[in-house]
Amino acid sequence: MLVLSRKLNQAIMVGDNVRIVVVAVDRDQVKLGIDAPREIPVHRSEVFEEIQRANRQAAGLADAEAAPARPAAPSTLATLTARKGPKKKT
Amino acid sequence: MMETALDTRQETRTIDFPRFGLCTYTESEVISFPWGLPAFPQLRGFLVLSVPGQEGFIWLQSLDDVKVALPLSDPWSLFDDYEAQLPQYARQSLGIEAADDFCIMCVCVVGKGAAEMSINLLAPVVINLKTRMGRQITLENQAYSVRTPIPRKAAASPEQVAQT
Repeated sequence: MLVLSRKLNQAIMVGDNVRIVVVAVDRDQVKLGIDAPREIPVHRSEVFEEIQRANRQAAGLADAEAAPARPAAPSTLATLTARKGPKKKT
Repeated sequence: MMETALDTRQETRTIDFPRFGLCTYTESEVISFPWGLPAFPQLRGFLVLSVPGQEGFIWLQSLDDVKVALPLSDPWSLFDDYEAQLPQYARQSLGIEAADDFCIMCVCVVGKGAAEMSINLLAPVVINLKTRMGRQITLENQAYSVRTPIPRKAAASPEQVAQT
């Protein structure tokens, strides 16, 4: 991992168009400002890790004993339909 | 050569899934996830399966790793005021232009013994129905949770139904 030291208001460029600035430092907390194009998702890594854990659990891989021992159910390909948004309240 | 490419898309294939048994599909029915899924970045090709008796769920079944299948549910069937405001990167990367271009489904987590069930409203799976390209998108609305509890009466779990 590349480790860089930065002072207040100094920045790091990631590629040509992602800029990360140290906005504030207060004891054990660092505030970062991120300038990135709208097409690049930026999230706290805890959120991403939580999604990873949930996906792993959804897939039944979290506990190794969850081996699919039950008889195979006949399955068919599902048809996906578009949803325009929340249902209108009636 | 073009004919060959066309044939490949329509060619029928059969695969044996440990959970669901034999399934026949054509290449044109495969949904591609070019960015994979969080926790499964290497898995790119999926099918959506419905299993008789499991209404309310469809399964996102990986073709690259047959052991991996995630249950998905229509978020509006459980939370009719759900609002999935897609960030720009989502629309751009999936090539979504119109409202009826895409569908949104959410990953469900079934707890031990199916007692607890939750649905990931923060990061829905968005699929472009025209290109059959999908991506799991993290919404900017922080009010939604990765593990939103599903009221038990709202849906029977896939496991419960499968055992009956």
